[in-house]
Amino acid sequence: MANMSDQGTAGQIAAPRASSNPLRAVTQFIGPENLSLLIALVVLVVLISTQTPYFFVPRNLLNVGMNISVVGLLAVGMTFVIVSNGLDISVGSIAGVASISSAIMVTYLHTVPGGILVGVALGAVLGAVNATIITYLRVNPVVATLATLSAYQGLAFLIAPGGRPIGVLDQNFALLGSGRLFEVGTFPGIPISFILLVVAAIAGHFVLRSTVFGRSVYAMGGNPAAARLAGINLTRMKYYIYILSGALSGLAGVIVTARTSSGQPTSGTAGLELETITSVFLGGAILAGGKGTVVGSMLAVLLLGVLSNGMNLLGIPTFYQLVAKGFLLVVAVAIGQFRMARAEKQQAKTAAQVKS
Amino acid sequence: MSGAILEISGVSKAFPNVRALSNLSLSVERGEVVAFVGENGAGKSTLLKILSGDYRADSGTVVLDGQDISHVDPKEAREAGLRVVRQEPEIVPHVTAAENIYLGEFPRRGNVVDFREMRRRTADLFEEGGFTGFLSPDAMGDRLSPAQKHVIEITRALKPGVKVVAFDEPTSSLTAEETERLFALIRRLKERGLGIIYVSHRMHEVMAISDRVAVLRDGHLMGVLQTAETTQETIVRMMVGRDLAKGFERTDTTRPNETVLEVGGINSIWHRDVGFTIRAGEILGFAGLVGAGRTELAKVIFGEYARNSGTVRMLGREVPPGSPAKAIRSNIGFAPEDRKGEGLILVRSVIENASLAVFSALSRWGILRSRMMVETVAPLIASLDIKTPSLEQEVGKLSGGNQQKVVLARWLAAKPRVLILDEPTRAVDVGAKAEIYRLIDDLAKSGMAIMLISSEMPELLALSDRIVVMHGGRLSAPIEKSAATEEGILRLALGQAA
Repeated sequence: MANMSDQGTAGQIAAPRASSNPLRAVTQFIGPENLSLLIALVVLVVLISTQTPYFFVPRNLLNVGMNISVVGLLAVGMTFVIVSNGLDISVGSIAGVASISSAIMVTYLHTVPGGILVGVALGAVLGAVNATIITYLRVNPVVATLATLSAYQGLAFLIAPGGRPIGVLDQNFALLGSGRLFEVGTFPGIPISFILLVVAAIAGHFVLRSTVFGRSVYAMGGNPAAARLAGINLTRMKYYIYILSGALSGLAGVIVTARTSSGQPTSGTAGLELETITSVFLGGAILAGGKGTVVGSMLAVLLLGVLSNGMNLLGIPTFYQLVAKGFLLVVAVAIGQFRMARAEKQQAKTAAQVKS
Repeated sequence: MSGAILEISGVSKAFPNVRALSNLSLSVERGEVVAFVGENGAGKSTLLKILSGDYRADSGTVVLDGQDISHVDPKEAREAGLRVVRQEPEIVPHVTAAENIYLGEFPRRGNVVDFREMRRRTADLFEEGGFTGFLSPDAMGDRLSPAQKHVIEITRALKPGVKVVAFDEPTSSLTAEETERLFALIRRLKERGLGIIYVSHRMHEVMAISDRVAVLRDGHLMGVLQTAETTQETIVRMMVGRDLAKGFERTDTTRPNETVLEVGGINSIWHRDVGFTIRAGEILGFAGLVGAGRTELAKVIFGEYARNSGTVRMLGREVPPGSPAKAIRSNIGFAPEDRKGEGLILVRSVIENASLAVFSALSRWGILRSRMMVETVAPLIASLDIKTPSLEQEVGKLSGGNQQKVVLARWLAAKPRVLILDEPTRAVDVGAKAEIYRLIDDLAKSGMAIMLISSEMPELLALSDRIVVMHGGRLSAPIEKSAATEEGILRLALGQAA
């Protein structure tokens, strides 16, 4: 076997090196598959800007940032779940439970940090329940989280006093939802919730891409049997993943409460799961697991947010938006399947070419 | 009785890396039983699949009672009269025996299934086959014993229009009594003038029931013997005896005497009291027929499958069962047979797959250091001569041989004291095979203990220091390299005395 001193010549393989070309560096960061997403985003922005002058202005753009922060947080967690070959459709309901619980904490117990903490912690606990159903009861994740979607929604109503939303009048708490930083002169300021999203996205991207945990997520999603045979503890991983997803859902629910100044059992959080899952698939994840990135998911979240915002500015009825979202989910998954089929065909060709 | 009912002429078939059948010509007469024998990979199942229409031969013809069935699909082959009784019956659990037998060919009254007619015909078929009383046409699929399931497979084959029946390892789940009943049936079928093909590893059965024996080896027909005029020894000798892996020789080493792996008293669903030891620098070869339980043994040792009792000791310390992670912590590595299904993550890169088993070692505070990953993996890629455009290449895009090397690279990175290799050169081209042999030799030279499972006799003989043979859930005593012969090993694998 070659010894370590041969390392210099061992590189007939190009080792991945930091790119000197800034354009190449950006491409590497975004990921080549997401490039088409980025282009679609640019095209959309240009299109909308030509139709209305109100789109490409700082106030509106920052509003978009604020609007996508809830779905964005959910999508960070969902990326981990889908890459691991799982699914969590209960995220909306978890957010609902967190929303009402944080409202109770803030309004009746007069504690803002307490409210945030309880929301996130409850989300984590509900995520752990999901993980238990999936690992110990061996229920398929789709069915398991479909069941908990319903159960958690009921839970949210049970927690709400009288089953109704609670008004939250705490100023400090409201900052979380609609507060801004760097409000200077005419600059509208960056929404705090958007900053939270950016922080979570950067952290999530880093963890998924560069940590042992993150790489193990890719492994177990790509081939659970191989991952197990390589020593990865699938049960433990699933707990971490669903708890992460649950905690982020909890945080998202807290932000909904802060933004609307009311704890909502449902109306602030319904439909979130569709948009979240669509974003992750649009962002490059595949049904079979093992592929997908946080950057991709965030680009997709941005795309959907821009689409929504643009349609609003242009006065297009909301129902068209729903149709568009459904359509985009189908397109996203179909592209993924198409890529996989093409790769398989390529593999068969390679295999057939090797003669004995 | 005149004229062959089945005429196979010049049939050849090749797969991407392997030539499975070469210019095979053979005929089966009416009222005759021809046995097909051969080692793993000799081509028996490929031939059966060509006869049944599941595969299409690259060249040559198959003529059944004057009708050319060389290019038909399975349904047409069945209708023409060629029926294969599969080794593993495929039974639909929640419908009756009669429905299973008439699956896809239900008797109809107009547009509606005629259940009564189906039941009646099934009862008649059972009568003809001598199965009346053995099972009822109304028995539910999931309540049937293995022998009863087998009867359903047989009855399916004996529906009207049958001309040639091929039995594929029919007695693997039968008792002696049931086997006798099967033989009685086969004799009756002979009297009806059918042609019968009997594929089996069980020599005494072959001697008992067949009129002629066709011996296959490496896709070639070595010869067809009159059963009455030959012996088991002659047949076995014909099955083996090719050149050893050309030109490959182990480097001579003096091996340290340290015992690295001690396995004792393993009992599980597949194994009875299995035990062995491997010393540092030694390669212990595991021979046996497909399905003998070698892969299962590897997985039991590696913690992937459960065991009822028994111990596994690494350098004296017991390896706790329960998960592969524990085995890996005890410095055992396992390169599985099914590299795509269990070995590789096809959508991930070469470098990720290669470092999969050592993520924690290549990280600090949980963060993977890509420089450490490259430093560890690049030398392995080079020394294994893995051909890939870059470390980031998706492993699914590499050729079979290179994929296998990535699996090996993974375990080399983990530096185990014991490495279990399950069919390491399966579907690997000749060039890469030689490289992998060289690598295995180097590993042994460096002191690694190796458990080598292989169905390729020359490979096993060339690489192993000692060989054990698995049969009937038990492991034979180890055979020294100098005393090992293909014939001897095959006989042990077949369950005969050495």
